[in-house]
Amino acid sequence: MIPQHHPTETLLVDYGTGALDRNARLVVAGHLGVCESCRRVVAEIEELGGALLAALAPAPLQPDALDMALARIERPAPVAITSTAPNDWIAVPWEVIEAARTRRRWAAPGVWVAPIARGPGKARGYLLGIAAGMGVPRHTHRGAEMICVLKGAYRDGDALHRPGDFAWNDETVEHQPRITSDGECVCLVAAGGPLVPRDWMGRIFQPLVGI
Amino acid sequence: MNAIAIGALSTTLGPHAPTRAAGRRMTSCAGSTGPDGATFSGCIVRIAERGDRDAFACLFNHFAPRVKSYLIRLGAVPEAAEELAQETLLTVWRRAAAFDPARAAASTWIFTIARNLRIDLARRDGRVPTSDDSELSEAPARPDDALSALENYTRIGIAVASLPREQAQVISLAFFADKAHSEIAGELGLPLGTVKSRLRLAMARLRGALAEIAP
Ligand SMILES: [Zn+2]
Repeated sequence: MIPQHHPTETLLVDYGTGALDRNARLVVAGHLGVCESCRRVVAEIEELGGALLAALAPAPLQPDALDMALARIERPAPVAITSTAPNDWIAVPWEVIEAARTRRRWAAPGVWVAPIARGPGKARGYLLGIAAGMGVPRHTHRGAEMICVLKGAYRDGDALHRPGDFAWNDETVEHQPRITSDGECVCLVAAGGPLVPRDWMGRIFQPLVGI
Repeated sequence: MNAIAIGALSTTLGPHAPTRAAGRRMTSCAGSTGPDGATFSGCIVRIAERGDRDAFACLFNHFAPRVKSYLIRLGAVPEAAEELAQETLLTVWRRAAAFDPARAAASTWIFTIARNLRIDLARRDGRVPTSDDSELSEAPARPDDALSALENYTRIGIAVASLPREQAQVISLAFFADKAHSEIAGELGLPLGTVKSRLRLAMARLRGALAEIAP
């Protein structure tokens, strides 16, 4: 499935140069896993980063740096984390899978969350699972929010967001997404701040997902 | 030729200049001047295929001091930068089997590992430990310094030195000052669109230079 909704080129450059925080990086990585064209853009930036790195004047290391490194590779490598994403998700980095496996909790009937990482500041990364057909209360955002669909689909106005699709909603966006009736929708979310509710439903919803 | 000038490159290498040779235990797969990427790719493949420690030493000697340099430029204290450089190269060892020489150069792959480790190990306030905040906040005011540390004999160093100053500045802020587009715009007091177009132009030029390097 080729995603229909992509990060902006600006965001891809920020990803490539290392300017995105961890949560945002994971959300963009989710999209890149399924999007060849965005991967190409990022690959060019990373190639440039590699060339700049290779051309940097070296900073001297401790005299025993190499010996220390060689000693550390003698030890058995840490056991690779083998957990794989559920079959019906797109591929995601392991820390996302770990969050789903170990930190998933029900937040409301039909809604579960699994925090991934906090910070910097008010930033939060989490997985959000919402049951088929449910609507998310109308809300705006404090700070930007990035979303990548891992499973299922939701409708936001006229746009249909399916696995791999990426969305960026900032303060100017007030919306009321709705999960399609086909099944549960799981999203990877990086939020700059808590949702700002616009109605009573939101006031109930917010503390529940406010993690 | 513009003036972040090659002359400046050699005179303002700054506090992190290579006072000692990086490769004390230089092995056969790297020369002392700008070894080619294909050879480093070969080192990673040899690690993947037979856990080749000489190949690891070769990669370590070339890249660990440069990763440290990269992290210092991004504001890390030298001790933290060295630890992260170690971690980066150990990750290269552990994940060598995932490296595909047909898809990326060794330098590209190692850059992404260092970049991601740095982001993931950043403290909650979003930064790796820095020597002091005043130094950090000062850094963007001297964006050319980061680029002046590029070794001028490398093609990419020469290409960067030949960029118009304003293009070099955005490249420097983007890669070596951890700045998103929007922050660069704020820093330089420019509209976002201007920053984007400068970055795009700079990247297009440097891609041209990279294409010449590629075999
Ligand atoms: Zn895309």
